[in-house]
Amino acid sequence: MLKILRLEFLFSRRQLVITLSIFSAYFSYMATQIRSPRVFIVLTSVMIGVAMPFLVLAREDKFKTASLICSLPVRRSTVVLGKYTATWGATVLGLGCALLLMAVFPFSKIPVGEVLTVKSLLITLFLISLIFAVILPFTIRFGLVGVIVLLVGSQVLGILALLITHMLRGAKDPLRVFFLPFQKGLKALFYHETTPGYLLTLLTLIIAFSAASLFISRVLYARREL
Amino acid sequence: MDHAIEIMGLRKEYRGFALDNVTFDVPQGYIMGLIGPNGAGKTTIIKLVMNLIRRDAGEVRLFGLDNLRSEAAVKSRIGFVYDIPRFPEDLRLQTIASAISAFYDKWDDGRFRDLLDEFRLSPRQVFKKLSHGMKMKFSLAVALAHDADLILLDEPTAGLDPVFRLELLTKLRALIQNERKTVLFSSHITSDLERVADFITFIHKGRIVFSAAKDEILETWGVVRTAVDGLKPEDIPGVRGIRRSEHSLEVLTSDLAAAKGLLCGRTVFDKASLEDIMFYISKGNAHA
Repeated sequence: MLKILRLEFLFSRRQLVITLSIFSAYFSYMATQIRSPRVFIVLTSVMIGVAMPFLVLAREDKFKTASLICSLPVRRSTVVLGKYTATWGATVLGLGCALLLMAVFPFSKIPVGEVLTVKSLLITLFLISLIFAVILPFTIRFGLVGVIVLLVGSQVLGILALLITHMLRGAKDPLRVFFLPFQKGLKALFYHETTPGYLLTLLTLIIAFSAASLFISRVLYARREL
Repeated sequence: MDHAIEIMGLRKEYRGFALDNVTFDVPQGYIMGLIGPNGAGKTTIIKLVMNLIRRDAGEVRLFGLDNLRSEAAVKSRIGFVYDIPRFPEDLRLQTIASAISAFYDKWDDGRFRDLLDEFRLSPRQVFKKLSHGMKMKFSLAVALAHDADLILLDEPTAGLDPVFRLELLTKLRALIQNERKTVLFSSHITSDLERVADFITFIHKGRIVFSAAKDEILETWGVVRTAVDGLKPEDIPGVRGIRRSEHSLEVLTSDLAAAKGLLCGRTVFDKASLEDIMFYISKGNAHA
Protein backbone atom coordinates (compact mmCIF):
# COMPACT_ATOMS: atom_id res chain seq x y z
CA MET A 1 0.00 0.00 0.00
CA LEU A 2 2.91 2.34 0.76
CA LYS A 3 4.11 1.85 -2.81
CA ILE A 4 0.74 3.02 -4.13
CA LEU A 5 0.83 6.01 -1.78
CA ARG A 6 4.32 6.88 -3.01
CA LEU A 7 3.21 6.53 -6.63
CA GLU A 8 0.15 8.71 -6.04
CA PHE A 9 2.32 11.33 -4.37
CA LEU A 10 4.91 11.35 -7.16
CA PHE A 11 2.21 11.45 -9.83
CA SER A 12 0.17 14.22 -8.14
CA ARG A 13 2.60 16.25 -6.05
CA ARG A 14 2.54 19.27 -8.36
CA GLN A 15 -1.26 19.33 -8.31
CA LEU A 16 -1.20 18.93 -4.53
CA VAL A 17 0.97 22.03 -4.18
CA ILE A 18 -1.26 23.98 -6.60
CA THR A 19 -4.44 22.88 -4.80
CA LEU A 20 -3.02 23.74 -1.36
CA SER A 21 -1.96 27.16 -2.64
CA ILE A 22 -5.49 27.82 -3.93
CA PHE A 23 -6.90 26.55 -0.63
CA SER A 24 -4.59 28.86 1.31
CA ALA A 25 -5.78 31.88 -0.65
CA TYR A 26 -9.41 30.79 -0.30
CA PHE A 27 -9.20 30.04 3.44
CA SER A 28 -7.34 33.29 4.11
CA TYR A 29 -10.19 35.18 2.46
CA MET A 30 -12.88 33.12 4.19
CA ALA A 31 -11.22 33.62 7.58
CA THR A 32 -11.68 37.36 7.16
CA GLN A 33 -15.32 37.04 6.09
CA ILE A 34 -16.82 34.41 8.36
CA ARG A 35 -17.29 34.79 12.08
CA SER A 36 -19.18 31.59 12.74
CA PRO A 37 -16.99 28.52 13.35
CA ARG A 38 -19.92 26.30 12.30
CA VAL A 39 -20.23 27.94 8.88
CA PHE A 40 -16.48 27.72 8.48
CA ILE A 41 -16.50 23.99 9.31
CA VAL A 42 -19.30 23.21 6.84
CA LEU A 43 -17.75 25.25 4.02
CA THR A 44 -14.29 23.79 4.63
CA SER A 45 -15.66 20.24 4.75
CA VAL A 46 -17.60 20.62 1.50
CA MET A 47 -14.70 22.32 -0.27
CA ILE A 48 -12.14 19.74 0.80
CA GLY A 49 -14.54 16.81 0.47
CA VAL A 50 -15.22 17.59 -3.17
CA ALA A 51 -11.76 18.83 -4.18
CA MET A 52 -9.53 16.08 -2.79
CA PRO A 53 -11.02 13.09 -4.66
CA PHE A 54 -10.64 15.12 -7.86
CA LEU A 55 -7.05 15.95 -6.98
CA VAL A 56 -6.07 12.31 -6.42
CA LEU A 57 -8.26 10.60 -9.00
CA ALA A 58 -8.80 13.08 -11.83
CA ARG A 59 -5.28 12.71 -13.20
CA GLU A 60 -5.72 8.98 -13.46
CA ASP A 61 -8.81 9.64 -15.51
CA LYS A 62 -7.12 12.28 -17.63
CA PHE A 63 -4.07 10.19 -18.55
CA LYS A 64 -5.82 6.81 -18.36
CA THR A 65 -3.12 5.57 -16.01
CA ALA A 66 -5.46 3.09 -14.30
CA SER A 67 -4.31 0.42 -16.74
CA LEU A 68 -0.68 1.24 -15.87
CA ILE A 69 -1.34 0.94 -12.14
CA CYS A 70 -3.33 -2.28 -12.59
CA SER A 71 -0.54 -3.83 -14.64
CA LEU A 72 1.88 -3.39 -11.71
CA PRO A 73 2.43 -6.26 -9.27
CA VAL A 74 -0.22 -5.19 -6.80
CA ARG A 75 -3.78 -6.33 -6.12
CA ARG A 76 -6.62 -4.06 -7.13
CA SER A 77 -7.97 -4.02 -3.57
CA THR A 78 -4.60 -2.61 -2.45
CA VAL A 79 -4.78 0.01 -5.21
CA VAL A 80 -8.16 1.18 -3.88
CA LEU A 81 -6.92 1.21 -0.29
CA GLY A 82 -3.94 3.29 -1.45
CA LYS A 83 -6.21 5.76 -3.21
CA TYR A 84 -8.42 6.15 -0.13
CA THR A 85 -5.37 6.67 2.07
CA ALA A 86 -3.94 9.18 -0.41
CA THR A 87 -7.26 11.05 -0.53
CA TRP A 88 -7.49 11.16 3.28
CA GLY A 89 -3.85 12.18 3.48
CA ALA A 90 -4.47 15.08 1.10
CA THR A 91 -7.60 15.94 3.11
CA VAL A 92 -5.70 16.08 6.39
CA LEU A 93 -3.13 18.33 4.69
CA GLY A 94 -5.91 20.60 3.41
CA LEU A 95 -7.58 20.71 6.82
CA GLY A 96 -4.27 21.39 8.53
CA CYS A 97 -3.67 24.21 6.09
CA ALA A 98 -7.14 25.69 6.79
CA LEU A 99 -6.80 25.43 10.57
CA LEU A 100 -3.30 26.88 10.55
CA LEU A 101 -4.39 29.86 8.49
CA MET A 102 -7.38 30.42 10.68
CA ALA A 103 -5.10 30.44 13.75
CA VAL A 104 -2.21 32.56 12.48
CA PHE A 105 -3.77 34.74 9.77
CA PRO A 106 -3.77 38.27 11.23
CA PHE A 107 -7.19 39.26 9.87
CA SER A 108 -8.93 36.05 10.86
CA LYS A 109 -12.27 36.62 12.59
CA ILE A 110 -12.86 33.03 13.61
CA PRO A 111 -12.23 32.12 17.24
CA VAL A 112 -9.65 29.33 17.04
CA GLY A 113 -10.62 27.88 20.41
CA GLU A 114 -14.12 27.08 19.16
CA VAL A 115 -12.92 25.21 16.11
CA LEU A 116 -9.99 23.31 17.57
CA THR A 117 -12.15 21.07 19.73
CA VAL A 118 -12.62 17.31 19.47
CA LYS A 119 -16.29 17.87 18.65
CA SER A 120 -15.63 20.35 15.81
CA LEU A 121 -12.88 18.22 14.32
CA LEU A 122 -15.04 15.10 14.47
CA ILE A 123 -17.96 16.92 12.85
CA THR A 124 -15.62 18.11 10.08
CA LEU A 125 -14.31 14.58 9.51
CA PHE A 126 -17.86 13.22 9.66
CA LEU A 127 -19.05 15.61 6.93
CA ILE A 128 -16.02 14.86 4.77
CA SER A 129 -16.43 11.10 5.19
CA LEU A 130 -20.09 11.50 4.20
CA ILE A 131 -19.10 13.28 0.98
CA PHE A 132 -16.29 10.81 0.28
CA ALA A 133 -18.64 7.89 0.88
CA VAL A 134 -20.66 8.99 -2.15
CA ILE A 135 -18.07 10.58 -4.43
CA LEU A 136 -15.12 8.19 -4.10
CA PRO A 137 -16.84 4.99 -5.29
CA PHE A 138 -18.24 6.85 -8.30
CA THR A 139 -14.88 8.41 -9.17
CA ILE A 140 -13.00 5.14 -8.69
CA ARG A 141 -15.42 3.13 -10.78
CA PHE A 142 -16.49 5.56 -13.48
CA GLY A 143 -13.86 8.32 -13.40
CA LEU A 144 -14.77 11.96 -13.86
CA VAL A 145 -17.64 11.09 -16.16
CA GLY A 146 -19.15 9.14 -13.28
CA VAL A 147 -18.89 12.11 -10.96
CA ILE A 148 -20.39 14.43 -13.55
CA VAL A 149 -23.26 11.95 -14.03
CA LEU A 150 -23.65 11.79 -10.24
CA LEU A 151 -23.72 15.58 -9.84
CA VAL A 152 -26.03 16.17 -12.82
CA GLY A 153 -28.22 13.26 -11.68
CA SER A 154 -28.41 14.72 -8.18
CA GLN A 155 -29.42 18.09 -9.62
CA VAL A 156 -32.09 16.51 -11.81
CA LEU A 157 -33.41 14.53 -8.84
CA GLY A 158 -33.34 17.71 -6.76
CA ILE A 159 -35.33 19.60 -9.38
CA LEU A 160 -37.82 16.75 -9.61
CA ALA A 161 -38.11 16.68 -5.82
CA LEU A 162 -38.74 20.43 -5.78
CA LEU A 163 -41.38 20.18 -8.47
CA ILE A 164 -43.15 17.30 -6.76
CA THR A 165 -42.99 19.03 -3.40
CA HIS A 166 -44.31 22.22 -4.93
CA MET A 167 -47.16 20.47 -6.71
CA LEU A 168 -48.20 18.34 -3.77
CA ARG A 169 -47.91 20.89 -1.01
CA GLY A 170 -48.19 24.13 -2.84
CA ALA A 171 -45.32 25.40 -0.71
CA LYS A 172 -44.26 28.97 -1.27
CA ASP A 173 -40.61 28.19 -0.68
CA PRO A 174 -39.91 24.68 -2.01
CA LEU A 175 -36.14 25.14 -1.61
CA ARG A 176 -36.63 25.44 2.13
CA VAL A 177 -38.60 22.19 2.17
CA PHE A 178 -35.81 20.47 0.29
CA PHE A 179 -32.96 21.74 2.45
CA LEU A 180 -34.78 21.47 5.77
CA PRO A 181 -33.58 17.91 6.54
CA PHE A 182 -29.96 18.99 5.91
CA GLN A 183 -30.37 22.04 8.14
CA LYS A 184 -31.95 19.98 10.89
CA GLY A 185 -29.23 17.36 10.59
CA LEU A 186 -26.44 19.94 10.84
CA LYS A 187 -28.12 21.67 13.78
CA ALA A 188 -28.43 18.36 15.59
CA LEU A 189 -24.75 17.72 14.98
CA PHE A 190 -23.55 21.10 16.20
CA TYR A 191 -25.90 21.67 19.13
CA HIS A 192 -25.92 18.20 20.60
CA GLU A 193 -24.37 18.04 24.02
CA THR A 194 -20.73 16.99 23.85
CA THR A 195 -20.92 13.73 25.72
CA PRO A 196 -18.43 10.86 25.30
CA GLY A 197 -21.26 8.78 23.81
CA TYR A 198 -21.95 11.44 21.18
CA LEU A 199 -18.28 11.72 20.23
CA LEU A 200 -17.97 7.95 20.08
CA THR A 201 -21.05 7.76 17.85
CA LEU A 202 -19.55 10.36 15.50
CA LEU A 203 -16.27 8.44 15.37
CA THR A 204 -18.11 5.16 14.75
CA LEU A 205 -20.12 6.76 11.92
CA ILE A 206 -16.94 8.15 10.32
CA ILE A 207 -15.36 4.69 10.40
CA ALA A 208 -18.57 2.98 9.24
CA PHE A 209 -19.10 5.35 6.28
CA SER A 210 -15.46 5.07 5.26
CA ALA A 211 -15.43 1.28 5.58
CA ALA A 212 -18.67 0.90 3.60
CA SER A 213 -17.42 3.27 0.91
CA LEU A 214 -14.07 1.44 0.74
CA PHE A 215 -15.83 -1.91 0.45
CA ILE A 216 -18.08 -0.68 -2.38
CA SER A 217 -15.11 0.91 -4.18
CA ARG A 218 -13.11 -2.31 -3.94
CA VAL A 219 -15.96 -4.33 -5.43
CA LEU A 220 -16.50 -1.76 -8.20
CA TYR A 221 -12.79 -1.44 -9.00
CA ALA A 222 -12.36 -5.22 -9.15
CA ARG A 223 -15.03 -5.25 -11.86
CA ARG A 224 -13.61 -2.31 -13.77
CA GLU A 225 -12.46 -3.20 -17.27
CA LEU A 226 -9.41 -1.30 -18.47
CA MET B 1 9.03 -28.06 -22.24
CA ASP B 2 8.14 -25.51 -19.54
CA HIS B 3 5.57 -22.92 -20.46
CA ALA B 4 5.61 -19.26 -19.52
CA ILE B 5 1.97 -18.90 -20.56
CA GLU B 6 -0.76 -21.54 -20.67
CA ILE B 7 -4.17 -20.37 -21.83
CA MET B 8 -7.05 -22.84 -21.62
CA GLY B 9 -10.63 -22.36 -22.83
CA LEU B 10 -10.48 -18.60 -22.42
CA ARG B 11 -13.74 -16.82 -23.10
CA LYS B 12 -14.73 -13.17 -23.06
CA GLU B 13 -17.91 -11.81 -24.53
CA TYR B 14 -18.66 -8.25 -25.58
CA ARG B 15 -21.65 -6.98 -27.49
CA GLY B 16 -20.91 -7.95 -31.10
CA PHE B 17 -17.67 -9.79 -30.35
CA ALA B 18 -16.68 -12.89 -28.44
CA LEU B 19 -13.34 -14.41 -27.68
CA ASP B 20 -14.29 -18.05 -27.80
CA ASN B 21 -12.52 -21.05 -26.27
CA VAL B 22 -9.01 -19.68 -26.81
CA THR B 23 -6.34 -22.25 -25.98
CA PHE B 24 -2.60 -22.02 -26.61
CA ASP B 25 0.75 -22.18 -24.81
CA VAL B 26 3.89 -20.08 -24.99
CA PRO B 27 7.07 -22.09 -24.22
CA GLN B 28 9.64 -20.44 -21.98
CA GLY B 29 12.55 -18.79 -23.78
CA TYR B 30 10.80 -18.18 -27.09
CA ILE B 31 9.00 -15.41 -28.93
CA MET B 32 5.35 -16.09 -29.63
CA GLY B 33 3.76 -13.87 -32.26
CA LEU B 34 0.05 -13.28 -31.86
CA ILE B 35 -1.27 -12.26 -35.25
CA GLY B 36 -4.65 -11.46 -36.67
CA PRO B 37 -6.45 -8.61 -38.36
CA ASN B 38 -7.64 -5.58 -36.41
CA GLY B 39 -10.45 -6.52 -34.06
CA ALA B 40 -9.55 -10.22 -34.05
CA GLY B 41 -9.08 -10.33 -30.26
CA LYS B 42 -5.30 -9.95 -29.79
CA THR B 43 -5.50 -7.08 -27.32
CA THR B 44 -8.36 -8.81 -25.49
CA ILE B 45 -6.15 -11.87 -24.93
CA ILE B 46 -3.27 -9.75 -23.62
CA LYS B 47 -5.60 -7.79 -21.34
CA LEU B 48 -7.00 -11.05 -19.99
CA VAL B 49 -3.48 -12.32 -19.33
CA MET B 50 -2.77 -9.07 -17.44
CA ASN B 51 -6.16 -9.22 -15.67
CA LEU B 52 -7.06 -5.77 -16.96
CA ILE B 53 -10.44 -7.18 -18.00
CA ARG B 54 -12.49 -9.97 -16.42
CA ARG B 55 -12.72 -13.30 -18.12
CA ASP B 56 -16.05 -15.03 -18.54
CA ALA B 57 -14.54 -18.51 -18.53
CA GLY B 58 -11.28 -20.37 -18.90
CA GLU B 59 -7.92 -20.28 -17.23
CA VAL B 60 -4.64 -18.40 -17.64
CA ARG B 61 -1.51 -19.80 -16.01
CA LEU B 62 1.74 -17.86 -15.97
CA PHE B 63 4.86 -19.77 -14.92
CA GLY B 64 2.47 -22.46 -13.67
CA LEU B 65 0.53 -20.04 -11.44
CA ASP B 66 -3.04 -18.84 -11.90
CA ASN B 67 -2.93 -15.22 -13.07
CA LEU B 68 -5.76 -14.16 -10.72
CA ARG B 69 -4.92 -16.07 -7.56
CA SER B 70 -1.21 -15.19 -7.79
CA GLU B 71 -1.69 -11.82 -9.47
CA ALA B 72 1.05 -9.83 -7.74
CA ALA B 73 3.58 -12.68 -7.93
CA VAL B 74 3.15 -13.26 -11.66
CA LYS B 75 2.98 -9.57 -12.55
CA SER B 76 6.31 -8.96 -10.84
CA ARG B 77 7.82 -11.23 -13.51
CA ILE B 78 6.12 -9.47 -16.45
CA GLY B 79 7.27 -6.48 -18.45
CA PHE B 80 4.26 -5.00 -20.22
CA VAL B 81 4.30 -2.64 -23.18
CA TYR B 82 0.96 -1.13 -24.21
CA ASP B 83 -0.07 -0.26 -27.74
CA ILE B 84 -0.48 3.32 -26.48
CA PRO B 85 1.85 4.06 -23.54
CA ARG B 86 -0.15 5.03 -20.43
CA PHE B 87 2.00 7.31 -18.32
CA PRO B 88 1.21 10.69 -16.76
CA GLU B 89 2.04 12.99 -19.64
CA ASP B 90 3.33 15.95 -17.65
CA LEU B 91 5.99 14.12 -15.66
CA ARG B 92 9.68 13.59 -16.30
CA LEU B 93 10.81 10.11 -17.25
CA GLN B 94 12.86 9.80 -14.06
CA THR B 95 9.82 10.61 -11.89
CA ILE B 96 7.67 8.02 -13.67
CA ALA B 97 10.43 5.41 -13.35
CA SER B 98 10.94 6.27 -9.69
CA ALA B 99 7.23 5.72 -8.96
CA ILE B 100 7.14 2.41 -10.82
CA SER B 101 10.48 1.01 -9.68
CA ALA B 102 9.28 0.60 -6.07
CA PHE B 103 6.92 -2.18 -7.18
CA TYR B 104 9.71 -4.41 -8.51
CA ASP B 105 12.24 -6.10 -6.24
CA LYS B 106 14.51 -6.72 -9.21
CA TRP B 107 14.41 -3.18 -10.59
CA ASP B 108 17.89 -2.27 -11.78
CA ASP B 109 18.35 1.48 -12.03
CA GLY B 110 21.70 1.11 -13.78
CA ARG B 111 20.12 -1.07 -16.46
CA PHE B 112 17.26 1.42 -16.83
CA ARG B 113 19.73 4.29 -17.36
CA ASP B 114 21.68 2.16 -19.85
CA LEU B 115 18.50 1.43 -21.78
CA LEU B 116 17.58 5.13 -21.84
CA ASP B 117 21.08 5.90 -23.17
CA GLU B 118 20.74 3.16 -25.74
CA PHE B 119 17.39 4.58 -26.87
CA ARG B 120 18.82 8.13 -26.79
CA LEU B 121 16.39 9.31 -24.11
CA SER B 122 17.18 11.61 -21.21
CA PRO B 123 15.69 10.94 -17.74
CA ARG B 124 14.87 14.65 -17.52
CA GLN B 125 12.66 14.64 -20.62
CA VAL B 126 8.96 15.20 -20.07
CA PHE B 127 6.84 12.31 -21.33
CA LYS B 128 4.38 14.40 -23.37
CA LYS B 129 7.21 15.95 -25.37
CA LEU B 130 8.31 12.57 -26.72
CA SER B 131 7.30 11.30 -30.15
CA HIS B 132 5.24 8.09 -30.33
CA GLY B 133 8.37 6.10 -31.15
CA MET B 134 10.25 7.57 -28.19
CA LYS B 135 7.30 6.85 -25.90
CA MET B 136 7.42 3.22 -27.02
CA LYS B 137 11.17 3.16 -26.34
CA PHE B 138 10.58 4.48 -22.83
CA SER B 139 7.86 1.84 -22.28
CA LEU B 140 10.26 -0.83 -23.41
CA ALA B 141 13.01 0.49 -21.11
CA VAL B 142 10.59 0.31 -18.14
CA ALA B 143 9.51 -3.20 -19.16
CA LEU B 144 13.10 -4.43 -19.41
CA ALA B 145 14.55 -2.67 -16.34
CA HIS B 146 13.25 -5.13 -13.77
CA ASP B 147 14.62 -8.31 -15.30
CA ALA B 148 11.16 -9.59 -16.31
CA ASP B 149 10.95 -13.23 -17.37
CA LEU B 150 8.03 -12.55 -19.67
CA ILE B 151 7.67 -9.53 -21.95
CA LEU B 152 4.15 -8.80 -23.19
CA LEU B 153 3.98 -6.42 -26.12
CA ASP B 154 0.65 -5.28 -27.48
CA GLU B 155 1.08 -3.95 -31.03
CA PRO B 156 4.40 -2.30 -30.13
CA THR B 157 5.37 -1.57 -33.73
CA ALA B 158 2.07 -0.05 -34.87
CA GLY B 159 2.59 3.50 -36.07
CA LEU B 160 6.38 3.31 -35.86
CA ASP B 161 8.85 4.08 -38.61
CA PRO B 162 10.78 1.14 -40.16
CA VAL B 163 14.05 2.17 -38.51
CA PHE B 164 12.68 1.95 -35.00
CA ARG B 165 10.70 -1.17 -35.82
CA LEU B 166 13.88 -2.90 -36.89
CA GLU B 167 15.70 -1.57 -33.82
CA LEU B 168 12.96 -2.94 -31.55
CA LEU B 169 12.92 -6.32 -33.25
CA THR B 170 16.71 -6.61 -33.03
CA LYS B 171 16.51 -5.76 -29.33
CA LEU B 172 13.88 -8.43 -28.74
CA ARG B 173 15.85 -11.06 -30.63
CA ALA B 174 18.97 -10.22 -28.61
CA LEU B 175 16.98 -10.48 -25.41
CA ILE B 176 15.86 -13.99 -26.24
CA GLN B 177 19.26 -15.14 -27.39
CA ASN B 178 21.20 -13.70 -24.48
CA GLU B 179 18.82 -14.01 -21.57
CA ARG B 180 16.30 -16.70 -22.53
CA LYS B 181 13.34 -14.46 -21.85
CA THR B 182 9.86 -15.23 -23.15
CA VAL B 183 8.02 -12.74 -25.35
CA LEU B 184 4.37 -12.60 -26.39
CA PHE B 185 4.19 -10.07 -29.19
CA SER B 186 0.85 -9.14 -30.76
CA SER B 187 0.86 -7.46 -34.14
CA HIS B 188 -0.98 -7.24 -37.39
CA ILE B 189 2.32 -6.42 -39.14
CA THR B 190 3.19 -9.94 -40.20
CA SER B 191 6.66 -9.08 -41.53
CA ASP B 192 7.75 -8.09 -38.00
CA LEU B 193 6.74 -11.45 -36.62
CA GLU B 194 8.18 -13.34 -39.57
CA ARG B 195 11.48 -11.71 -38.66
CA VAL B 196 11.61 -12.56 -34.95
CA ALA B 197 8.93 -15.02 -33.83
CA ASP B 198 9.61 -18.66 -33.03
CA PHE B 199 5.94 -19.56 -32.73
CA ILE B 200 2.84 -18.04 -34.27
CA THR B 201 -0.71 -18.02 -32.94
CA PHE B 202 -3.22 -16.81 -35.45
CA ILE B 203 -6.50 -15.44 -34.18
CA HIS B 204 -9.47 -14.51 -36.30
CA LYS B 205 -12.89 -13.30 -35.13
CA GLY B 206 -12.11 -14.33 -31.56
CA ARG B 207 -11.07 -17.89 -32.38
CA ILE B 208 -7.65 -19.47 -32.66
CA VAL B 209 -7.06 -20.62 -36.23
CA PHE B 210 -3.70 -22.24 -35.45
CA SER B 211 -0.83 -22.09 -33.00
CA ALA B 212 2.40 -23.66 -34.18
CA ALA B 213 6.13 -23.17 -34.81
CA LYS B 214 6.72 -20.45 -37.38
CA ASP B 215 9.18 -22.49 -39.44
CA GLU B 216 6.73 -25.37 -39.60
CA ILE B 217 3.97 -23.02 -40.79
CA LEU B 218 6.14 -21.42 -43.44
CA GLU B 219 7.32 -24.86 -44.55
CA THR B 220 3.96 -26.64 -44.79
CA TRP B 221 1.45 -23.94 -45.65
CA GLY B 222 1.07 -22.80 -49.23
CA VAL B 223 -1.07 -21.10 -51.83
CA VAL B 224 -2.38 -23.13 -54.74
CA ARG B 225 -3.41 -21.19 -57.84
CA THR B 226 -5.19 -23.35 -60.37
CA ALA B 227 -7.28 -23.05 -63.50
CA VAL B 228 -8.22 -26.74 -63.65
CA ASP B 229 -11.86 -27.02 -64.73
CA GLY B 230 -14.30 -28.67 -62.41
CA LEU B 231 -11.93 -28.74 -59.44
CA LYS B 232 -13.68 -28.31 -56.14
CA PRO B 233 -11.63 -26.45 -53.48
CA GLU B 234 -12.71 -29.02 -50.90
CA ASP B 235 -10.80 -31.65 -52.88
CA ILE B 236 -7.49 -29.90 -52.14
CA PRO B 237 -5.89 -31.33 -48.97
CA GLY B 238 -5.64 -29.01 -45.96
CA VAL B 239 -7.77 -26.25 -47.45
CA ARG B 240 -7.97 -23.26 -45.06
CA GLY B 241 -9.03 -20.36 -47.28
CA ILE B 242 -10.46 -19.86 -50.75
CA ARG B 243 -10.44 -16.96 -53.25
CA ARG B 244 -12.21 -17.29 -56.55
CA SER B 245 -11.75 -15.15 -59.62
CA GLU B 246 -13.33 -15.44 -63.04
CA HIS B 247 -10.75 -17.79 -64.49
CA SER B 248 -8.91 -19.24 -61.53
CA LEU B 249 -9.14 -20.53 -58.04
CA GLU B 250 -6.75 -19.66 -55.23
CA VAL B 251 -6.62 -21.90 -52.21
CA LEU B 252 -4.65 -21.56 -49.02
CA THR B 253 -3.62 -24.98 -47.78
CA SER B 254 -1.93 -26.12 -44.61
CA ASP B 255 -0.59 -29.18 -46.45
CA LEU B 256 1.26 -27.92 -49.51
CA ALA B 257 3.10 -31.21 -50.07
CA ALA B 258 -0.14 -33.19 -50.27
CA ALA B 259 -1.67 -30.60 -52.59
CA LYS B 260 1.35 -30.87 -54.88
CA GLY B 261 0.95 -34.64 -54.97
CA LEU B 262 -2.69 -34.41 -55.95
CA LEU B 263 -2.73 -31.64 -58.53
CA CYS B 264 -0.82 -31.25 -61.74
CA GLY B 265 -1.07 -29.07 -64.85
CA ARG B 266 -2.23 -25.42 -64.99
CA THR B 267 -1.49 -25.14 -61.28
CA VAL B 268 1.04 -22.98 -59.45
CA PHE B 269 2.24 -23.79 -55.94
CA ASP B 270 3.80 -21.17 -53.68
CA LYS B 271 4.83 -21.25 -50.07
CA ALA B 272 2.57 -19.03 -48.00
CA SER B 273 3.89 -16.07 -46.04
CA LEU B 274 2.18 -15.02 -42.84
CA GLU B 275 0.68 -12.16 -44.79
CA ASP B 276 -0.80 -14.62 -47.33
CA ILE B 277 -2.24 -16.68 -44.49
CA MET B 278 -3.77 -13.63 -42.84
CA PHE B 279 -5.12 -12.39 -46.16
CA TYR B 280 -6.73 -15.66 -47.30
CA ILE B 281 -8.20 -16.47 -43.90
CA SER B 282 -9.45 -12.95 -43.26
CA LYS B 283 -10.71 -12.09 -46.71
CA GLY B 284 -11.39 -15.45 -48.30
CA ASN B 285 -13.92 -18.07 -47.35
CA ALA B 286 -12.16 -19.40 -44.31
CA HIS B 287 -12.06 -23.08 -43.50
CA ALA B 288 -10.64 -22.82 -40.00
